[in-house]
Amino acid sequence: MLTQVQKIFLLSSVLSLGFVLIILSSALYHNWLPLTVVLMFLLAPIPNSLCGNTQSEDFMSEAPDLLADFGRFLTSFLLTSGVALPVTFAHNGLIKIPAMIMSLAGGAIVYGSIVTFGAIFYEPEGY
Amino acid sequence: MSLRLGAFNIPHLSSHTIRAAGVYVSGILYSSAFYYMLDSALWSAHKNPSNVHVGFVDWLPLILCSLGMAIINLVEKSRLNGNNAFGNEYGGNNDTWQAKVVLFLGFAFLSGGVADSVVILVLKYIIPKYGLPVLAMGIQNVISSCLVMTSCLILWVAQNMQDDYSYSLQL
Repeated sequence: MLTQVQKIFLLSSVLSLGFVLIILSSALYHNWLPLTVVLMFLLAPIPNSLCGNTQSEDFMSEAPDLLADFGRFLTSFLLTSGVALPVTFAHNGLIKIPAMIMSLAGGAIVYGSIVTFGAIFYEPEGY
Repeated sequence: MSLRLGAFNIPHLSSHTIRAAGVYVSGILYSSAFYYMLDSALWSAHKNPSNVHVGFVDWLPLILCSLGMAIINLVEKSRLNGNNAFGNEYGGNNDTWQAKVVLFLGFAFLSGGVADSVVILVLKYIIPKYGLPVLAMGIQNVISSCLVMTSCLILWVAQNMQDDYSYSLQL
């Protein structure tokens, strides 16, 4: 197994690979529209972490967890935005197809590394 | 549906997981509705061969649908069941009636948005007899408002499923 520091190093290098892909997709074609993808994928984990993922705690309680639902809705909205935005741009000729593919791959890598980071290092309170 | 949920790394499928998945799906549908409409607007601005353009009027169905969806989801679901255990004790009848009126308003906005998109399709694109690449803007409008309606429906079903389950759990 990897140690904690190695994990952090690996994840951060993967994250920077994602950023490199997205910045290349913009810079190679002198068209900075694909950068919006970074914004979407960076914002995507925020609603879920703010609204709390109270899967096990709220299981027996009466009131449905509406705030968590709102967070999930926003998360999936932002994630789909990250995918749909470059596809829409490419469909209408605002960016080139290779730029779309690069920014999509970069965005997926960025989001994946953020989620992996959360899954590895998040320790829930109160247990 | 249950097989797909295995990817979320939760061993047993509680109704909580299904509810979460329903909310995620509804968010995806809403987002795709928005970007489908944005796609038609961008197409109209950049690749349009004709004189017809997507303006504020074409965005109106999506706005109406979103408003309806917001209203529907702001209604507290527990107020709708008039014959609840606690419903009749402290004037639950009146509350139920009010909740139903607000809910009716929300559904009216939602279906009004869909009807609005059909009206725009007919009046703006079909009656002037436009061909397919231009007509597609109107069709995209109808599809996107239908997507918002589907998203709202899935959200409603997902949230009510949880209520039923916890109710039967308490019994």
